[in-house]
Order: sequence, then structure tokens, then C-alpha cells
Amino acid sequence: MSVDNAYAVELKGVTFKRGSRSIFNNVDIRIPKGKVTGIMGPSGCGKTTLLRLMGAQLRPASGEVWVAGQNLPTLSRSDLFDARKQMGVLFQSGALFTDLDVFENVAFPLRVHTRLSEEMIRDIVLMKLQAVGLRGAIELMPDELSGGMKRRVALARAIALDPQILMYDEPFVGQDPIAMGVLVRLIRLLNDALGITSIVVSHDLAETASIADYIYVVGDGQVLGQGTPAELMDSDNPRIRQFMKGDPDGPVPFHFPAPDYRADLLGKR
Amino acid sequence: MSLGSVQLAEPGVLSLAGILDYRSGPDLRKQGAALIASSKAEALVLDCTAVEQSSSVGLSLLLGFIRDAQAVGKHCAIRGMPHGMREIAEVYGLDDILALQ
Repeated sequence: MSVDNAYAVELKGVTFKRGSRSIFNNVDIRIPKGKVTGIMGPSGCGKTTLLRLMGAQLRPASGEVWVAGQNLPTLSRSDLFDARKQMGVLFQSGALFTDLDVFENVAFPLRVHTRLSEEMIRDIVLMKLQAVGLRGAIELMPDELSGGMKRRVALARAIALDPQILMYDEPFVGQDPIAMGVLVRLIRLLNDALGITSIVVSHDLAETASIADYIYVVGDGQVLGQGTPAELMDSDNPRIRQFMKGDPDGPVPFHFPAPDYRADLLGKR
Repeated sequence: MSLGSVQLAEPGVLSLAGILDYRSGPDLRKQGAALIASSKAEALVLDCTAVEQSSSVGLSLLLGFIRDAQAVGKHCAIRGMPHGMREIAEVYGLDDILALQ
């Protein structure tokens, strides 16, 4: 059983492999309810994989993934379908339906998962778009939107069903400073005012540290450290320090393993 | 927690109660519309005092009931909106529209 309902998501001893390669090895992560939790780490360290494990899009080789009192890997397909209604995901790509206008993109989960009337769907779509500042864009198609606008429409769609947990996959990637500021404000606002639990997977340190209440740093298939942004900044762990301070060299070396340079240049070939 | 309900607690007072969400919303919308149509009172009060939990659906219900009242020329007011519901309304920019006090 999930032991503590102060946590919206709990990963217990999760191991995940791709083929014979271990991506995560016996990882424990607890996401506190109603807070913004950042999951950070270098590119390619498996942050998005972690998000997919939490959303049960991937199944761990071993371990438990508890969400709202349910161990997701043990659920039937229909129970999983219901459990996912509590989770919204803002995908890195935005993943808008390119042949649907803004209104229909946001309405989509309401049409699929509820039996609300057209009148109520319209109310709710307009509310969600108002919250992200794009109610005036309902008739636009995705290819008529800027990158930042696409991300905000995707956010409106992610909150369409009033999820208890909202997962953001690299929300700041490719955003200009204004769009980034808007997103940071929205993530905090939605979290606090709607009582959502937010999980932000990102390698953008400044933005994530500015909104996260708690951060996990992952790498090498494990949790390297955890704490508040201030605690991690002061960490004695050289790997955490290197990541938090953005040092180009450290325990994660600047150079990819290579033969001796002198020998490579002057030695016999 | 109880399932959502809507009833005319007293003449002209439509009382919403319980959980207003995607499951309860569609039926509550129909029931509320029928009750408003049957009410002989000149004005309508939407009483949210007994709402235990509301998602966006609760706000849509209020908007729908206001439209119903407007359609038959009744003045409509909201009272007793719980703090959490009020906060959600503010996020969605509905504080002025619902005339939250």
C-alpha cells in the first residue's frame, strides 16, 4: 500500500530497462501533494522516461508506482484509463492535433472522457483558454500559432479535465524569455489556485528552481540528490554542485572518453 | 463526500450541494434547468453554501443557470460560494462575471 497520502506520486524501488540497459535502478521518488516538484538532470538522463513511468505509459521491470492510492503497474487497462483522467500532461512538443482548431484541441479530452453537453464543453474550453490568455485564439489552427502560444494551448488542454496531477515535460525548451515567463507564472498559478500537484521535468535550471518547491536531480539511473532549490545549491555533492552551478567540467566530464591526446596527435598511428 | 445535487430549497433559491464534477455535472445541468423553469419566483438565487467540492464543471453549472434565468427575464445572484470554488473562478477570470463579493 501507499503509506503516506501526503504524496501524490510515489515510486518505490523502480527499475526500468531498455533491453539489457538499465535506465533506472531501484529508484525511490516521492512527489508531495499540492507542490511544484522539479525533476532535473542532464539531457538524456531519463527524465522523460520517469514521467512516462508515472503516467503508466511505460511499465517498470520491477518496483511500484503509486498514484492516488493505486499501484499503476497492477491496474487493468480500464482502471488505468480512469486513473489517467486525474493526470494532465504537457508534452514537450505540445502535441496539438494539427487538423483541429484551438477550440477543438482543448475540447478533445472533454469529448472523449465526459458526457458533458456542448453548452458545458464550450464554457469549460473558454475558461481554460481565458486562464492561459488565448480565448481570442479559439478559431486559429495550430500552424497559425507561435511556439509559446502552442505550449499555452497545450496547457489549456492538459487542464481541461481538472487533473489532480499535472506533468510538464521540458516546458521551457525553445521558448523566448516572455513566453518562458508566462509559463512560469501559469505553472505556479495553476498549482496554487487549483490545488494541483505539479511535476516539472526540465534541465532549465533557473526557471525550474524559481518555481519548484522541491527538486530531484537524477542521473546515472539513480537519484543523485533531492531538496529545496536552496538546499541543492548548497549541496556538498560534487555532481549536484556541478549541475546546479552549470560547471562545464566536474564529475560529469567535459570530454567524452578518448585516448591520450598526445599519443593521438604525436604517437604512431 | 456526497454526490452532487441541486434542488429548490425555498422559492427562488436553487441550492447546489456535494461534489460538482464531470460525473455529476450533466445530470445537475438538466435538473437545475427544469427547476428554474418551474420556479414562479421573480428572481433566482444560486446558493452554493453546501458545495463540498467543485471543478470547472461547477462554474459551468452556475453560468448555465444564470443563462436560464436571463432567458426568462429573472435577476440572478450567487451566494455562499466556498473559498476553493471562488479561487478557481478567479483563475478562470469569472470573478466579475459571477459578481463574486
